[in-house]
This record gives sequence, structure tokens and C-alpha cells, in this order.
Amino acid sequence: MIGIYIHIIRFFLFVLAQGLIVGQLDFGFGIHPMIYPLFILLLPFDMSAIALMIIAFVTGVSVDFFMNTFGLHASAAVIAAYFRPELFKLFSPRDGYESFRQPSVVDLGYKWFISVSSLMVLIHHVWFFFLEYFRLSDVLYIFQKTFLSGALTLLIFVLIQIIFFKNQRMS
Amino acid sequence: MRNLIAFFQRFRVFLVFLVLQLVALGSFFSWMSYPRTKFFNTSSSITGNILSWKYEITKYLSLSQANEVLQAKIANMMEDLPESYMSIDGKTTLINDTLYEQVYRYIPATVINSSHQHKNNYFTIDAGRLKGIKPKMGVVSSVGVVGTVYDVSDHFSVVKSILTENIKLSAYVEGNEAFGILKYLENDPRRVSLTGVSNDIPIKRGALIKTRGSSGYFPKGLTIGKVDVVELIEGKPLWDIQVYLSQDMRKLHSVFVVDNILDEELTQLQGDIEELN
Repeated sequence: MIGIYIHIIRFFLFVLAQGLIVGQLDFGFGIHPMIYPLFILLLPFDMSAIALMIIAFVTGVSVDFFMNTFGLHASAAVIAAYFRPELFKLFSPRDGYESFRQPSVVDLGYKWFISVSSLMVLIHHVWFFFLEYFRLSDVLYIFQKTFLSGALTLLIFVLIQIIFFKNQRMS
Repeated sequence: MRNLIAFFQRFRVFLVFLVLQLVALGSFFSWMSYPRTKFFNTSSSITGNILSWKYEITKYLSLSQANEVLQAKIANMMEDLPESYMSIDGKTTLINDTLYEQVYRYIPATVINSSHQHKNNYFTIDAGRLKGIKPKMGVVSSVGVVGTVYDVSDHFSVVKSILTENIKLSAYVEGNEAFGILKYLENDPRRVSLTGVSNDIPIKRGALIKTRGSSGYFPKGLTIGKVDVVELIEGKPLWDIQVYLSQDMRKLHSVFVVDNILDEELTQLQGDIEELN
């Protein structure tokens, strides 16, 4: 059983990492990876959709604090949380999620993690960049930003899983 | 009534979703100014302080570069000192330095957080209300114009960068005084567009773009950049002018906030006119 504390610590880690490191890096080509959807993805299985959205909203607002985006991250985080239960239902293992501790690679394997997180990142990034540009003439640029940033975000997700989540199983 | 409650219970997830989106998007599209200026930006003291810690750690990375820029600026200013001039005709030259009154004051500040990869970019500086900064004041770097103050807290300010779609800075082309409005349209952090210049005015590539100073937030004649590309807009009698900014917004460290000393007098005077009407 993973206590509530780990999620509180993760909240601060993800928000600070996004606001101070990942959001400040300049990759060129309009690439702007966002790692905090992983925090939303990693929240407990049995959390209700409403609680998910409120936590996601607070996370998004905290990132907005750092990025001067005035609510854009909050909106994108809420939509990611809104779709999380649907995605979990879509990729549900045969026996449901009862026997698993948390939605991570260690518990559910790479195939499950990459399918769920790629769809979640896609929803999140498309929503984010469409709202940011909000102009039909920029559609190509929006898609470029979405796919390049999304790919990098996924890579960071998997790296975080490899680096930080292996140890938990051993101990 | 029971149906209504049943309806709310059935759709409560979606309703919460809707409410949260309304708050977030309302702030983002600035339908609501309260959350926009109170919550969702870096002028709050918590994030401001975290960002200044971050700046304390990372500032060493750009120190030598910042130094060079400032040294160049000092060298430029030393050239303007009276000592660097010699009188050509000592007997008849009139020195009229007391005939001028200072209009603009510059408040130094450091950029502690910035972005340039968004459509609308803002950056945070470590000077706020207590140093005399007010919204809408102009912000310049040692080489060019960089933005206008958007929101102010006691110790920090959020500045609307020149890389913002609705920066609406009034600028003119040096040499022929043709003026237009600056907008950020091209998703390229080195270029902004100068819109509204009629295409019967010849514009030369490389001509300097300067502030018009019409709103009083910038002095007249501050360099913004130079003309990079001039193209005709199809179907409109206007030039599409792309301006290469003289300040690389990706490498912004120290800025100066322009304080118009006569601003209060000006607004008061204009207020009086409205009352007279």
C-alpha cells in the first residue's frame, strides 16, 4: 500500500521539475515537453473521477504559476484527468486492476503503460497546443508541436519509470 | 425536482469537468481578470521566491555573456559623456545642458524566469511595486525594447514580452517615419511583424525600427530591431514587414523598466479634459 505521502511528495517534485527544469529547456522546433501528466497517471486506481480532476486542476494551476500561462496548463491537466478513467477501462487487464499497486511499468508492463500514457499525452498535448494557438492557419505548426513534444514527453515518462520505479520492487 | 437531482448525479463528473474548464479557460482567454492577475502567474510571492532561488543558482551560467553586453553598453554611454567631446569652437559653442528636463527614469531589474516558445510569452523580473513599477510601463534591455509590464506584486512583476501577439507596440521605420503596430505572428523568437505600413512607402531592408513613444511608456526613438524581410500582402495595400529583433529574447538577463516621470501629470491632464467635456 502506497501512502498518501508519496503522492504529495510526487506532486511537489513534478511541479518543480516542470516549472524549473523541463519547461525552461529550449529544444527548438517548438518542442515543449510536459511531464506532469505522469503525476496524474500515477494517482491511485480507486480515486474517483472528480477527485482526480480537482487534483489535476491544482497541479495545472501550480505549473501555471511558473510558466505564466494563465490557466492553460490547468485546463489541459483537467482534460487529461477526465479521460484517465476511460483510458484505464479501455486497456483494463483481464482481471481488472485489483491486484496491482499502482499504474506503473513495474506493475503493469511496458505495453500497458505506453498505450495508456501515449493516448493520455496525445489528448493533453493536442488540447494544450490547440488552445494556445487557437488559429486555423497554425494547424500544421500545432501538429508539429504536438507530435514532437509528445514523443519527447513519452520518452521522459519511460525514463522516469526506468530510473525511479525499478528500486521500489527490489526493496 | 427529483429528475433534476438525478440529472446532476448522473452528470456530476462532467459538470465538475465543465466548471474547472470554465475557470481555467476563462482565465486563459482573459474573460476573467481576477484569476488571471491573482493566481495564474509568477508575480505571486511563493513562485517568485522559488524562481529567484533558481536564478541564484543558474545565473553563473550566463555571467560572462551578461557582462559583455553591459560593458558594451557602458562603452556606448561613455562616448556620450561631455569628456569624450572636444569643442570645435570654444568661444561660440553654447552648452545648453540645463535646458533639458528629465522625463524618463530607468529602474534596473533582472529576469528570473522567461519563456519564448509559446504563442504569447511572458517573463518575470525581480522588481515590483516597492521599486515603483506599475502596469503598462515599458521594459527595455541594453540593446532593444523587450516588452511592457503586465502585472505587478510587491517584489516581482510579470512582463508581457515583445513576443506576444497583442503587444501592439507602435513603431516607425527610421528614415521615412512610416509607422505601424508590432505583432508577434511568426513563431520565431527572433522576428516580429510590423503591420499596417502602406505599400506605397518604400521600405529598405536593414532600416532600423524604433519606438514611436506615442503612448508615453517608451521614449521616442529606442531601437527595436531592423527590417529583415519586406513582402507585399496579397489583396491589401500593405507591406508585410518582418523585423529582426536586436535583443535575442532567448538570452535575456538584465532589463530596465522605463518610468515616465511626467506620466502622472499627463494622465491627470487627460482626465481633466474628460471632466471638462
